Amino acid sequence: MSNFLLQLQLLLAALSALLPLLPDTLRARAGEILDVAGKALSLGGALSTGAEELAQKLAAIRAEIEAMAAARHTVTADELDAAMTRVNTASSAFRQALQTAEAATP
Amino acid sequence: MKHPLRALALTCALTLTPACAALHLTAPNPISAAQTNDQRAYAVIESYGALVETATIIMRDPSAPIEVKRAIGRAEAVATPSVQTLEVAFTAYLRARAAYEGASPSDDNAMTRAVNALNAAALALSQAIGRAQAPVAELQSLINAQRGAAR
Repeated sequence: MSNFLLQLQLLLAALSALLPLLPDTLRARAGEILDVAGKALSLGGALSTGAEELAQKLAAIRAEIEAMAAARHTVTADELDAAMTRVNTASSAFRQALQTAEAATP
Repeated sequence: MKHPLRALALTCALTLTPACAALHLTAPNPISAAQTNDQRAYAVIESYGALVETATIIMRDPSAPIEVKRAIGRAEAVATPSVQTLEVAFTAYLRARAAYEGASPSDDNAMTRAVNALNAAALALSQAIGRAQAPVAELQSLINAQRGAAR
């Protein structure tokens, strides 16, 4: 997927290089369209990366739970601690990222 | 911009393409694989960790709208305390289970107390799982909606 996005972004960059060849009346509009396309590609790429990662992580967790269920494993305090450490670390990073996003908003 | 609808269509098409390719119509559900309450609680907590990690990617994406980030932030602010409450119930359950396993079968009173405490802790754990699942699902639906909006 990242290769496909890279190819699309290279295509946009190549099209941008041709902008000076367009008549003045069309150049501004074409530039706007390429700008919108670039932003859309960037957002779509970030979201698809996140979606892929989430699906992989959920699949790994499901495999772990299936193995636990098959082995009739009872969850230990250490396993709970490790899971909560993951949650607390992720939550701290999330809140910091939200603060950064808010600070960057005009 | 003279043709905003065309620009919108182009935006949708270009955003849709990579997001569609990444779409998993049947996202894995770890919670449904659990056979016991302790496995179920562990699956909720682990899944939530993975969700927040994904939400952080959206937070760090400069092209994601700030309104979406704020909505996800509000959902996280509700979900994380409910998962921490689940942790408290889970810890109490683990202690009660250890006390039950350590109770002497020859001491009827101690065994009865341990069984009662374990039953109460198991009930509290079950309720905490139920209470944590709704806000976690809310956060997941917001993340999915953000993906859907991009498509």
